[in-house]
Amino acid sequence: MSVLKGKKKSNIIKDWRQQPKSIEKFQFVHHFLPHPEEKRRATLLSNRAVIVYCVAMLLIAGIFRILPKIVPGVLGYASDIAVKDLLTYTNVKRKEAGLSELRLNSALTSAAHQKAEDMFKDQYWAHISPDGTEPWDFILGQNYDYIYAGENLAKNFNNSRDVVEAWMKSSSHKENLLSPNYDEIGFAVVNGVMEGYETTLVVQMFGRPRNAAQVASVYEEQTVLQKESSATAAVSEREPEAEGVPEAVSEPVYTPVAPEKPAIDVTTATKTVSAVFGGFVGTLLALDVWYSKTRGIHKFTGHTAAHLGILILVVASIWFVLTPGIVL
Amino acid sequence: MKDKSDTHLVEYAVLATLAVIISLLFYYFRYNHGVLIFLSGVSSLAYIIWGVLHHALEGRLTKFIAAEYIVFGTLVFFLMYTVLNF
Repeated sequence: MSVLKGKKKSNIIKDWRQQPKSIEKFQFVHHFLPHPEEKRRATLLSNRAVIVYCVAMLLIAGIFRILPKIVPGVLGYASDIAVKDLLTYTNVKRKEAGLSELRLNSALTSAAHQKAEDMFKDQYWAHISPDGTEPWDFILGQNYDYIYAGENLAKNFNNSRDVVEAWMKSSSHKENLLSPNYDEIGFAVVNGVMEGYETTLVVQMFGRPRNAAQVASVYEEQTVLQKESSATAAVSEREPEAEGVPEAVSEPVYTPVAPEKPAIDVTTATKTVSAVFGGFVGTLLALDVWYSKTRGIHKFTGHTAAHLGILILVVASIWFVLTPGIVL
Repeated sequence: MKDKSDTHLVEYAVLATLAVIISLLFYYFRYNHGVLIFLSGVSSLAYIIWGVLHHALEGRLTKFIAAEYIVFGTLVFFLMYTVLNF
């Protein structure tokens, strides 16, 4: 009210006092629109209001962190990852690099499943387990005698393509994926609860058998793929080997299970929270630009258009670029 | 003497260039959450610095305007961080 002086100001106040509803309407409207007299933004765009939005977002992020500890499995990462797609995308990348395609091997697949189950059981996300078990221990445990072996891990991804793309974006994972030293591959796509969040772990194991004649046949690959037709599979205890049957050709026992979906997809939830806050502030800024221009209001503030441009860019990035997946 | 609108244009061009560079970096590192959180912090800081310098060069920098850029920069960071933290 500082710009209104003397008689004019007192007349306006006098008129308003006679019409309390007008005051209420004026006050309400200027929660959303700039104040022409005070030359400032809408109340809901004030510095104080923006600080409140920041605190609210922090609180919501805190709830998303605490909730899985109180009610495990409610929040999680929905996914639609299939072994067949992972194998296809991996081999496409290898073909593009002029390398031979990898054949799906049952022993490496079984080792990958055991690794994924072990990570869920002992709640770790690492190549080496807390008790010191290395990836090679899982591979050797399947009597896969190798010259070269490697492991890639991924979690929280929505789809198979993103998993392979993420590995390709990381130099060490790309090195494994495009290594000419491997002939065979095994995948595990396993659902479970990690640190309270329902998620999907992907384990990719590479190998070259010491005996080249042991490289998986097309028949073996098809058999493994059939068993992996479901996006998720749980490994049960291996049945005792029959005497005289070499372990390397024995097949692991998989029990296909329906993919588990979390009650709340944490990716969608966090993206929605950011989009709602960003969208709300962005809409108010857009209203500010339009109203100030039509009413010729020159405010003593920062550049609204710059704030709006940055906000649009951020919300678009959040919605279209960010993915929840992590590779290791 | 340089026209005021020319100076404005240069300053906005700097902001647009920064936005394009950061967007490209975001896309390139889209699977690396650690780098993305770092980039979010850097981009928020860059925006605050741009806002303060822009208004200082215009000769209309006040504590209120500086605070406005700081809170908007912080909001932009939290919008990203809320998603990247999971």
